[in-house]
Amino acid sequence: MSAEVFSVFYQFADVFAFLILSAAGLAIVFGMMGVINMAHGEFIMCGAYVTVGLVNLGVPLAIAQMLAALTAGLIGVLVEFLVVRRFYKRPLDSLLATWGLSLIVTQSMLLIVGSAVRGIGTPEGSFAIGGYSFSTYRLVLFGCAVAVLGGLYIIFMKTRFGVIARATMQNAAMAKALGARTGRIYAISFGIGTGLAGLCGALYAPTMTLIPTMGATFVVESFVTVVIGGANVLLGTAPAAVFLAMIRMALNASYGQIIGQIGMLVAVILIIRVLPEGLSSVLVRRGR
Amino acid sequence: MFKLLEGPQTLGRGKIFWSCFLAVLAGALTYPLFADSYDVGNFAYFLIWIFMALGLCLMWGYGGMLSFGQTLFFGIAGYGYGVLAINMGGGTATIAALVLSVVLAMLAAGILGYFMIWGGINGIFFGIVTLSATLVLAFFLGQTAGPEWHIGPARLNGFNGMKGMDPLTVGDFYIEGSALYYTMIALIVIVYLALRMLVNSGIGNVIVATRENPQRAEMLGYDVRKYQLLTFVIGSGLAGLSGALYTSWGQFITPSSIGLPAAAMPIVWVAFSGRNDLTATLVGSFLLLFGFQTITVYSQQAALVLMGALLLATVMLAPQGFVLGIGKLAADWWGGRRRRDDGAVAEEAGRLQPEES
Amino acid sequence: MALVEVKGVSKRFGGLTAVSDVDLTVDAGEVHCLIGPNGAGKSTLFKLIVGLYPPTQGSILFDTVDITAERPYARVQRGMSIKMQAPSVFKELPVRQNIQIALQERLSGAERITEEDRLLTLLNLGPDSEKLAGALSHGQQQWLEIGMALALKPQLLLLDEPTAGMSPEETFKTGELIKSFNAEGMTVLVVEHDMAFVRQVAQRVTVLHLGKIFARGNLENILQDEKVAEIYLGKTHAH
Repeated sequence: MSAEVFSVFYQFADVFAFLILSAAGLAIVFGMMGVINMAHGEFIMCGAYVTVGLVNLGVPLAIAQMLAALTAGLIGVLVEFLVVRRFYKRPLDSLLATWGLSLIVTQSMLLIVGSAVRGIGTPEGSFAIGGYSFSTYRLVLFGCAVAVLGGLYIIFMKTRFGVIARATMQNAAMAKALGARTGRIYAISFGIGTGLAGLCGALYAPTMTLIPTMGATFVVESFVTVVIGGANVLLGTAPAAVFLAMIRMALNASYGQIIGQIGMLVAVILIIRVLPEGLSSVLVRRGR
Repeated sequence: MFKLLEGPQTLGRGKIFWSCFLAVLAGALTYPLFADSYDVGNFAYFLIWIFMALGLCLMWGYGGMLSFGQTLFFGIAGYGYGVLAINMGGGTATIAALVLSVVLAMLAAGILGYFMIWGGINGIFFGIVTLSATLVLAFFLGQTAGPEWHIGPARLNGFNGMKGMDPLTVGDFYIEGSALYYTMIALIVIVYLALRMLVNSGIGNVIVATRENPQRAEMLGYDVRKYQLLTFVIGSGLAGLSGALYTSWGQFITPSSIGLPAAAMPIVWVAFSGRNDLTATLVGSFLLLFGFQTITVYSQQAALVLMGALLLATVMLAPQGFVLGIGKLAADWWGGRRRRDDGAVAEEAGRLQPEES
Repeated sequence: MALVEVKGVSKRFGGLTAVSDVDLTVDAGEVHCLIGPNGAGKSTLFKLIVGLYPPTQGSILFDTVDITAERPYARVQRGMSIKMQAPSVFKELPVRQNIQIALQERLSGAERITEEDRLLTLLNLGPDSEKLAGALSHGQQQWLEIGMALALKPQLLLLDEPTAGMSPEETFKTGELIKSFNAEGMTVLVVEHDMAFVRQVAQRVTVLHLGKIFARGNLENILQDEKVAEIYLGKTHAH
């Protein structure tokens, strides 16, 4: 019996991790700046390629993954400085600008490195409970997703940066008047967002084929999670991921991956009709 | 009714504009007489996409609804045409297949639009929900390689795409080559003029009013949600028309004409051209499609990199669009020379500068 | 005869009760002013009548029909017309088109153009009719919006601080305009701060304080009521 229970938990954890890891970075950037980074998938791709590149050079996987996240974060800071910064007052234009960037990066990668790169294979290791066998790495991914949420909680709730960042999120003009360097905060937040995207790519790199268009695999999940979760990563994205993961898990198990994805999308479309403010409006009753 | 062809919502009026319009039309009509048939076929191919561009222009530029899901409806009607044409047999039934597939796309837009618009989704989220739906359709169709995925005798065929449907046919006459070209030209003229009349009509007034200030429009007694849904359904129907024509033109359709990067293309055309004006969108999209096809022959990736760069350059340098900006400058220069009113020219030129924030 | 009846309406936002068990009647044909110190709940009550928020409790009747659940556009179609506090016009559209959008459901063709011209002249916007509405001064935008509200030829005109940001002369002219439309039979409900303006236009006055009805009556009685002067002037002086 416990094996079945664990099996259900395992499947839930697998989808939950995928949703959190792919959406966290997007949600931070949206929550802080009201910008949807359409190049989010390309930062994920960047994390994956850097990881595989470093592992092929002999760097241990875990270190390669951290370096990959760091690389994506630094590139994000640069992109914020060169492009995104100009569009904070025009959020729709920031979508277009980052989408333009996404096209340029994906297609240039196709031109330069070609379509597929040799993967590194999923780290081995599995364990058995009852008659079932489970991959250890999938549980590691779940652990990472929980760690990301914990890390964000600490950064935004317990550090000085977090206090200033939350103040900026509430009222940028006021935070600026009180001496916060909002430009720098935006750059760092964008960097954290793209760094998390890079981490997502780094963590999933061993499990999938690397192609320059791989980012598209993640964007639907990250979009719908943010649509449902709204601007708050901890109080919006996390519960949204729990909710969507349950739907997805149930459908995946009975009907397969693609029906799971379609079902998730349909659920999202129904929810926005019933709860226009998103799921977080129910979870976070903010009195006006 | 025809006086609605001109109005505050569309650029271009008076004898000069309509003379140019007729001259271009005459050029387009005589083109097959001295071009070889291969080029005529190519021209027809990129005229296919104009409908999708005009539809997005209506939704985004006039209605203020930035849909990233144009290729969703392109795909629904494209596959719809294929399934219907195969199931209903060829011949004149293909015309019915075309009409029905466009209706199918509009129906899908009506359902999706109802949930989004009545749910109060707007701005950024409107874009990403429509894009999510688009990508999910593309993923789904990509996984339909197996023989179990069929509708009647029509196999969906996964990434390889659906094929085997008849092109548009009347009786025994296939609408191909220059016949298809003339059909396209006629359809574009009809759609373009009809859209001009729509946006300059009372309905058009409410559509732009909703873009400007939905609350104010509602407080004038308009149920803005209905107008938004109407705009969305018309715009999506035009994307559907492009899709059905595309399938008919090549007698095949694949999921790659729905997913990324295809979904970004209408956005690039309309943003680059100038989303606030139908004529700018028509001209600009045509130029971009022409350029894109020319480069694609050598390298599709290079062409797509260029499209990305154009999108980035547009929002950074001329957020209102390059073609519209140049058109306005030319019109003002012309008008300014006649009225010796240099102030207006300077003002317009100033408006083209990027807004530094 | 009561044109608007607000019955036992309350509105709570989280823990804050902005409007509490309010009854209000606006009679057909009168100019009714809703006054009160800052934070009295005037704007919230206004938005409840307009339909921007649903009330937490109570019901609202217009012309004896219960409209509590109706959206703003449906209330407008019944004969209400609304001008919100901050000027809200179609900024990227020409002044004339702004008026046209308000008029087009009621009139068409040459009739509409005549009425557009009449309203533009009435509002002193004639010379600016081809300008973009966003290019008008603040006071002119307020007038344009009043003009759009009038263009609907409503039974009931609802105005939330229509004279905010206007000079004393503009305020006076606005008052005369409202009186002239009232003389033609239009009922008017105004939320207002400016006591001079209230004196100029009001026939009946309701005073709101801390979300509740504090006093009501005709203009003279309210002006002489010492308690009203206390809460109202006291607060405004401290401000």
